[in-house]
Amino acid sequence: MLDGSLLVQMLIGALLGLSVYLPLAAGQLSLATPGFMTVGGYVAALLSTRVAALGGAEPLYPLPSLLLELLLAAVVALALALLVGLPVLRLRGIYLAIATIALNEILRVVLLNNSWTGGAVGIFAIPQPFGDPLGYLAALAVLLLLAGATCQAIARHPLGRAMAAVRDDELAASCTGIDSFRIKLLAFAASAVLAALTGVLAAHFFNTWNARQGSFDASITTLAFVVFGGSRHWLGPVLGGLVLTALPELLRPVGDLRLVVFGAVILLGPLLFPQGVVTPALLQRLLP
Amino acid sequence: MTMPPLLELRAISRRFGGLQALEDVSFGLQEGEIFGLIGPNGAGKTTLFNIITGVTRPSGGQVLWKQTGIEGLPPHRIHRLGLARTFQNLRLFESLSCLDNVQVGLGRSDRRRALELLALFGLQARAAEAAGGLAYGDRRRLEMARALASAPQLLLLDEPAAGLNPGEKQELSALIRRLAAELHLTVLIIEHHVPLMMQLCDRLAVLNFGRLIALGRPDAVRHDPLVIEAYLGGAGGAGGAGGAGGATEDPS
Ligand SMILES: Nc1ncnc2c1ncn2[C@@H]1O[C@H](COP(=O)(O)OP(=O)(O)OP(=O)(O)O)[C@@H](O)[C@H]1O
Ligand SMILES: [Mg+2]
Repeated sequence: MLDGSLLVQMLIGALLGLSVYLPLAAGQLSLATPGFMTVGGYVAALLSTRVAALGGAEPLYPLPSLLLELLLAAVVALALALLVGLPVLRLRGIYLAIATIALNEILRVVLLNNSWTGGAVGIFAIPQPFGDPLGYLAALAVLLLLAGATCQAIARHPLGRAMAAVRDDELAASCTGIDSFRIKLLAFAASAVLAALTGVLAAHFFNTWNARQGSFDASITTLAFVVFGGSRHWLGPVLGGLVLTALPELLRPVGDLRLVVFGAVILLGPLLFPQGVVTPALLQRLLP
Repeated sequence: MTMPPLLELRAISRRFGGLQALEDVSFGLQEGEIFGLIGPNGAGKTTLFNIITGVTRPSGGQVLWKQTGIEGLPPHRIHRLGLARTFQNLRLFESLSCLDNVQVGLGRSDRRRALELLALFGLQARAAEAAGGLAYGDRRRLEMARALASAPQLLLLDEPAAGLNPGEKQELSALIRRLAAELHLTVLIIEHHVPLMMQLCDRLAVLNFGRLIALGRPDAVRHDPLVIEAYLGGAGGAGGAGGAGGATEDPS
């Protein structure tokens, strides 16, 4: 049941979970993770289908071209994140959530109505840099490892404490010398870049890409990764992304009931584990 | 008083809609003094703290720090100049440990220094506990430890003795004196407990309905007829308004 293709999707889920987690760790709710993933996917899809040298013609294929796509996707996502974050994050409150919903919608409408991006059907026949799921697994695992290690390092660094301080009480954090605007912007930018990098790999893996990747449903699903897994430690959203991505597939044998079971897990998770499954207290017990 | 003041307020005013919370308030703090700010509930004391620390912009007037205007700077910039504060309604980083609360104040990772600061307030045994789970008195002390972590020149304390019992109030008062002397701190303190303020402060300012009605040494302020009328309610002498003692935990 756990075939390579499902494992790839689970790793994508874990990465998207981390992308939602990063701003949340600084008290900011961004719903644009699927939007930034969509953007990253389009960067990969457009470059590898429109630029011959990047889409199969040696010698740039596959690794150098993939790295170039990742770099470009990161730059585009960063620019978009700054465009949204610079005006919005100066305010205190839930404005980022509202602005990122708007960003998702704008991206969707622009991408759907633009012939350059394939309109409603999107882009087909995206070249496959890796012959089988194992290659994608390896690439995504490297990305997840890097992202996880970064989160782990941040948690022990003054930056991680500053993020937690802003999350707990932004006003008190400012009065304790923390530039809360900078911290929030940094977390949001990191979230955007991570989602876009994931999108690059996902677009190649799925072979086809369209604007529906960034639907509102997807925003809620990625948010559920963090609600279920927990937002107090980076392992929480990783677990949430892995489990909640696998669950619908693993439940396939029970037929239509699987949606009910999936819904029940999402509902019961927060009831049984209000802070998510992974909490600092749990980790302390497991890894003394 | 020929030295220029460390902090000077010049004609500070603040309006909230139709409410004049502060009107034309001016005074200065000399380096090294313990300066008290008293006045009835709603007099504008916390609003003045908010203006000094950049949380609230004044509608008019200037805040001079070492003779440079700082009004309009964001709170984190003002903090970095050497002004640190506590909050009347306690604002700790609840999910962080006591140690981490102090390390946020330090702005760096330094366990040893953070533990020293906690020990100063008798909190070393609580270092690993989450701030949200502390008893009330410990929360007040932790907030002071966090504020002191940045080694400020001016410490602003908003009702630090509120909710403490008389014994704890005395201890706190002695601690503030000791810290001010040892760390060369200037202290601006709001507190309703008048006897404590008379004994602790070098000078006092009295606010009433947003106006400065008295300024001077405790003895002079104590016998000021305006103060007796407005603040002490005609009871005369110190202690008359001690009962107002910090029952106010209004959200700011
Ligand atoms: N952000 C705000 N918006 C509207 N009104 C405010 C605001 N902050 C303070 N006020 C009002 O300004 C007046 C002064 O409030 P402030 O908190 O400064 O009083 P205070 O002297 O600290 O009183 P207390 O002793 O009760 O703490 C009050 O009437 C209060 O309701
Ligand atoms: Mg007050």
